[in-house]
Amino acid sequence: MGIITSLGNGVSDTRDAIQNSLTGIGPLTLFPTASDQSFPVGEAADLIENEDLPRTHQLARLAAEQAMADAKEAPDAVVMGVTTGGMLTTENLLKKNARDPKLFCLHATGSVSEDIARRYRCTGPALTVSTACSSGAAALKIALEMLRAGSVKRVLAGGADSLCRLTYYGFNALQLIDPEGARPLDSNRRGMSVGEGAAMLLLVADEPDHTVAEVLGAGLSCDAYHPATPHPQGKGALAAMQAAIMDAGISIADIDYINLHGTGTRDNDISEARAIDTLFRGKKPLLSSVKGACGHSLAAAGAIEAVISAISISSSVVPANVGCRRPDPDLKLDPVMQPFQRPIETVLSNSFGFGGNNAAIVLGACGKPNPGRTPADTRPMAILGSACVTGTGRTDRTMGAIAKGKVCAGILDIEEISAHLSAARIRRLKRFPRLALSLAIAAHENSGAGDTPAAIFLGTGWGALSETSDFLTRLFETDEQFPSPTDFIGSVHNAAAGQIAMQFQATGPNLTMTGGDYSFEQSLMAAGLVSRNIRDGFLVVGADESHPQLSRLFDRSVAKSACPADGGGALYLKKGTGKSELTIRSVFFEGCENNPGVISSLIQKIEKQQPLNDRYGLILAGFPAARRSKGEVQLQTLLARTGFNHPVIDYRKLIGEFASASAVAAVMAVKFLQEGRIPEPLCEDKPVELGAKGVLIIGTGDYITAMEVMPQ
Amino acid sequence: MEKLLKELQVKIIDVLNLIDVQPEDIGADDRLVGGNLGIDSIDVLEMVIMIEKDYGVKIDNRELGVKVFATLSTLAEYIHVHSTELSN
Repeated sequence: MGIITSLGNGVSDTRDAIQNSLTGIGPLTLFPTASDQSFPVGEAADLIENEDLPRTHQLARLAAEQAMADAKEAPDAVVMGVTTGGMLTTENLLKKNARDPKLFCLHATGSVSEDIARRYRCTGPALTVSTACSSGAAALKIALEMLRAGSVKRVLAGGADSLCRLTYYGFNALQLIDPEGARPLDSNRRGMSVGEGAAMLLLVADEPDHTVAEVLGAGLSCDAYHPATPHPQGKGALAAMQAAIMDAGISIADIDYINLHGTGTRDNDISEARAIDTLFRGKKPLLSSVKGACGHSLAAAGAIEAVISAISISSSVVPANVGCRRPDPDLKLDPVMQPFQRPIETVLSNSFGFGGNNAAIVLGACGKPNPGRTPADTRPMAILGSACVTGTGRTDRTMGAIAKGKVCAGILDIEEISAHLSAARIRRLKRFPRLALSLAIAAHENSGAGDTPAAIFLGTGWGALSETSDFLTRLFETDEQFPSPTDFIGSVHNAAAGQIAMQFQATGPNLTMTGGDYSFEQSLMAAGLVSRNIRDGFLVVGADESHPQLSRLFDRSVAKSACPADGGGALYLKKGTGKSELTIRSVFFEGCENNPGVISSLIQKIEKQQPLNDRYGLILAGFPAARRSKGEVQLQTLLARTGFNHPVIDYRKLIGEFASASAVAAVMAVKFLQEGRIPEPLCEDKPVELGAKGVLIIGTGDYITAMEVMPQ
Repeated sequence: MEKLLKELQVKIIDVLNLIDVQPEDIGADDRLVGGNLGIDSIDVLEMVIMIEKDYGVKIDNRELGVKVFATLSTLAEYIHVHSTELSN
């Protein structure tokens, strides 16, 4: 495992800092601020200035280098929690009025895990979770489920985030920064200290000799309560801790130490304390927050604290709650005030984020029997409802136009997107969250189901661009004095999924995946992995907004397209086949770099079950404009090798260029299968019946992805 | 003071994008936060920024915020007193 924070670089430095109760919180040096705007931060030291590589990527590389130091084989997958990504570099560029899309090529949160995958020649999926401050822990949950599913043996997982103006000024606008430096659990605490860092863990299915610790289980939940404030009684935090303990197959009495989320804000600490009080009653384990020592590293925090928990287990050290002088009696917690040595076998580590997004993980000493280990659930997902939005309109209009072979690409009027949404709920929502919420509601309505979704999975290439742009524009225009707190809350990638959760009171897992052109595919994969215990339905949504300035700067395919477009699709799903006639499954996800056999690998994976030509009656192929020529070659190779002789539809030509266009393609597949035929104008005016065959949705370019929609 | 109250009514509706609320709906002595207007803690922070930007008056902690944002009158009063202090 590897770690870099303001406490130091590497496991050894971090252990020393913990054993000596050091703090890494100090003055900000990364970017200039007005004197009365300067607050202490947890800044990582000794990073080399590198204009070509954003700071988050540098942090991730340092942590990954340590984690992979002894590894002999490439990881089968990379899963990372990232929220700021290349934002610091992007801010510098926007301040300079830079307009060349090439300069922004590492803005995307997903570019961090892709960079790590490339460096370690990982040809499997490189997934990115953006659930604000729980991202790093959520990434570990996904990695754990991938290992349990047996499709991979080694996953490099963790989180990385660098400091940037967006988060520094954003949290300050929310009055969540302690001007004295974070004092978690202290009576006089006034907020957090924003930090930065990265931590990566190489998780392996078999236990090798030098194992440090074992991830026993993890739990996810959502408050479905408020965009930025945790549930006052810690309802969601409690649910996540309970889910993690159950997932690990242990009892609460087994927990020796809790590594708290403990940000130092008034609301977080009281909410977390109440959840712990409810769960452990009078028998609370040792507990402390390390955020008074290293600051709150946002998406990296969950992974950083997993590494610190593993250090606690392997080095028998209990970290102190640095920064706290007088514990707040209202919290009824007794934090560890000085570090000390004691054997620690089992740790519960909490990470909670905006949108009421909660994750808890359980780590244990290795070699202990783990009777509760949960087997994988590979059941398909039944499709109960679907909905989409394109430039042409909502589902019926879009599908009507597609049936006539018409191009739907464009930007739908925001009033039409918002038509069915409650005015009070959307007062603070801009284009992206309205799109996502509208899709979620429509897909659920389409199902006619009496129940409501328990979990939400959202894929988005770029998230809330309007909120991000408006926040930064006002920040820069007012000399960094008056940024909007509302825009900051809305700019977080998972804000939209939080809104959907509030709409439906969906308190189960709530994951937002941000993997560029493959974001919807990633959200479907995540849904398949973590939906095991969800008996009710869940929503998988893919959406992206077109922003007049940022879309063409960030998305290379948008920059190449003459016609701006946006929209998305949503599916209401349930695990198992249920009463539905259709199911969906993520079939394949591999990178193309260092992977010349990627198409053979895809064919092998599919044809293990059935020849491609027999299994599917249609391929919906996605060619992101920036990778079109490469993608067309990839598809031709697939067609030539399999002799596929049914129709292939180039769906981006109909839907437009936006990262989550494949979510609309999934809805197209559903509608065609429900009709039992492909509309004639899409197959050279010849009627094509689908019969018992399914539809394969292929993604091409830097990754090859495949999702299948099958009739039963 | 009357002028300030009227000005604040308009600004609050604008800044918070309060749909279907008219300036006169924000009564001077009605509860401002958590009442019928649907104004919540995020809106309070948005108003804090607006007041600092437009009147040069800082409200930088929550305890103070609770008192200042009790009603439109308390808010106007606080701005009146502190912006005067500032200009003196």
